[in-house]
Amino acid sequence: MSAFNFLPSFPLPPNLVLLFGLLLLAGFAGGELVQRMLRLPRITGYVLVGLVLGASGFGVIDKRLAGEAQMFVNIGLGIILFELGRRLDFGWLRRDRWFAATALAESALSFFCMYGALAYFGIHPLHATVAAAIGVATSPAVVMLVAQELRAEGQVTERALNLVAINSVAAFVLATTLLSWLHHEYRASWITMVSHPVYLLGGSLLIGYLASGAAILLARWIGKREELQLVMLLGMIVLAVGCADALNLSVMLSLLAFGVASRNLDRNHDLMQVNIGHIGQIFFVVLFVVTGAILNVNDFITGGAIAMVYILARFVGKAIGVLSLAHFSGIRPGSGGLLCLALTPMSGLAIEMMHGTTSLYPEFGAKLAPIVLSAVLLLELIGPVAVQFALRTAGEAQEESK
Amino acid sequence: MTDPMLEFTPSRGFSMGVELELQILNSRDYNLARDAADLLGLLEKNPHPGAVKPEITESMIEVNTSIHHRHETLVAELMRIRDTVAEAAGRLNLRIAGGGSHPFHTWTDRRIYPTDRFKHILEVYGYLAKQFTIFGQHVHIGCPDGDAALYLIHALSRYVPHFIALSASSPFQQGEDTSYHSSRLNTVSAFPLSGQTPFVHAWGEFINYFNKMRGFGIVESMKDFYWDIRPKPEYGTVEIRVFDTPLTVERAAVLAAYAQSLARYLLLERPLTPLRDVYLLYSHNRFQACRYGLDGTLVDAYSQRHVGIRGDVLDMLKVIAPHAAELGATAALGQLADDIAAGRDDAAWLREQYKSRGSLNDVARMQSELWMGNALTPA
Repeated sequence: MSAFNFLPSFPLPPNLVLLFGLLLLAGFAGGELVQRMLRLPRITGYVLVGLVLGASGFGVIDKRLAGEAQMFVNIGLGIILFELGRRLDFGWLRRDRWFAATALAESALSFFCMYGALAYFGIHPLHATVAAAIGVATSPAVVMLVAQELRAEGQVTERALNLVAINSVAAFVLATTLLSWLHHEYRASWITMVSHPVYLLGGSLLIGYLASGAAILLARWIGKREELQLVMLLGMIVLAVGCADALNLSVMLSLLAFGVASRNLDRNHDLMQVNIGHIGQIFFVVLFVVTGAILNVNDFITGGAIAMVYILARFVGKAIGVLSLAHFSGIRPGSGGLLCLALTPMSGLAIEMMHGTTSLYPEFGAKLAPIVLSAVLLLELIGPVAVQFALRTAGEAQEESK
Repeated sequence: MTDPMLEFTPSRGFSMGVELELQILNSRDYNLARDAADLLGLLEKNPHPGAVKPEITESMIEVNTSIHHRHETLVAELMRIRDTVAEAAGRLNLRIAGGGSHPFHTWTDRRIYPTDRFKHILEVYGYLAKQFTIFGQHVHIGCPDGDAALYLIHALSRYVPHFIALSASSPFQQGEDTSYHSSRLNTVSAFPLSGQTPFVHAWGEFINYFNKMRGFGIVESMKDFYWDIRPKPEYGTVEIRVFDTPLTVERAAVLAAYAQSLARYLLLERPLTPLRDVYLLYSHNRFQACRYGLDGTLVDAYSQRHVGIRGDVLDMLKVIAPHAAELGATAALGQLADDIAAGRDDAAWLREQYKSRGSLNDVARMQSELWMGNALTPA
């Protein structure tokens, strides 16, 4: 062989660590540029970097690389959904029943508005229903990260996060149940029709439940040591993500259930409120860069018009749901409108749900993509700005430290 | 020619009223929240007993009772106020807690409640304004005239260590055990206009003093003085401000009853002649009470002896018993004596919870559960 066989062979074989570092730094740079020059949320910068590097831009991140990076996306989403789940407080919903009603109304009305609008414009009922189900969810990642970046705190922030948690659950349950219809449409056996949603919902909830039980027991054993609990929770999150992935379950529903259960079943208050978000930040950057890379501007060109209808119907549904009941719930006048704005983002979650529903039937996915993905493309860019505006206007952002 | 602001409105029959500054906590990690405006907004939507007002930072509210003559009506109103505030807080997923300090908040996170007066205080005092996120109980005692009020202030100054030690509930600040029973008063002492009412005896003299200070451009109103005990001429009261907010409203009512019975004894029997030496020893005695609570030792200016604060309070409870009986406060003061004998006080309770749980977040949570009572259990 040659005298230089110690040198690597070109092109370099794919290396996950290298990919992670590159995505992280590129996203980070984009986020800082956008924040410093345009005063926009950093997330918008991460997504723009993804768009430039991805399918719509230079194509540096192709389908294969995006697939490789899926692992980081899953961990990032897992952390976010766990944190989101921990915000969902059943006690609050019992004490402020108008707020609970708002959550239901907002999810239900946006679903029906989207379905109605899409059906009106001639979209096949099955496509319209699945798209509407996916649209019920607000992007937890965007709302949580913008709130974290602004260090926002207050009624609009807390209520937005609780509504997001509830509409995410609603969207999951709807989309998963719709799998039966999908299987029926593609003439799968009735056993598949029934067992697939049951397996997904039951299995994911079980993982979340078991993980929370284990986390609570471990926390009791560790005691109130913040740094130890942080490591333990991160380990448990990654483990749950891995289990859900390996078992073909929903990573998102599992982790959301994990979060909700560890908030509401921890009667002894053994778990501490550790700040996972700071460590999670590195995964969040990669999450948004990859999301941007997957999105294709071509989808927007073909599906832009119907996507606008979809977005508008979604906003109207959510707005009617929130505004009609805002007066009865314990918030200040004006906060209702800001809450509506904070519910606009769509993001990686929607993409994951779309893949989850359509992976078995690619042709169905191909028809759904122009609607859902072009909406995601638009809302991924506008959403963070809307949330930032809402939280700032509500006076819930901390003054930015120099 | 006297300023109407300084005219002393006479009060009858040893009336009393209570103001409590309360902590607003979030329900996730039990740090201070910033929802005072939303909470006040929600409370204003419905009629409620007492009055609820904003305080210097967005993490605080103040509740006021109306005027009372007897402990039983005072505690009843305080409980109604508590239930209303707790219910409203529950709807916003907030928690309300008593206690003189929040155990672990960081003052740099605080934001000033946006009124002109509070903005002005921030401008004048800088970071002290944000550090002023501490929580006190103020007890008003009605006086027949200004001279009586001044007499009462000077006589009560001898008993300030009692009030501090009995109410002490701020052992933790900024995430640390301060080693004090009441660390809150150290924060008050940083203000240049804190301290004591000047040693004058006739209301006319007091007006002269005030006009002089106003002439210097140092103060605009009585509100600018952060004295431990100050006259409140428009209410016709003497306002005792050294109490930490107790962990429960029941305790707050008992402390008010103690102050009321003591005031009745002092005003009717006039057992003490105001003495400059009380103020000579004042800082020492006040420090002892803050640092060691009921275990502290004070120097009595009248007998010139060192006495334990615990014993001094118990002695005093016996002395004022006939006055307590007249005011219907016998049971309340009996409760107080039992608590003292059993070593039950708020600072000790807070330290016990920390020892058993190992986390100040848990301490803050339990503080709020104690204050809110049954409001959190679903209907």
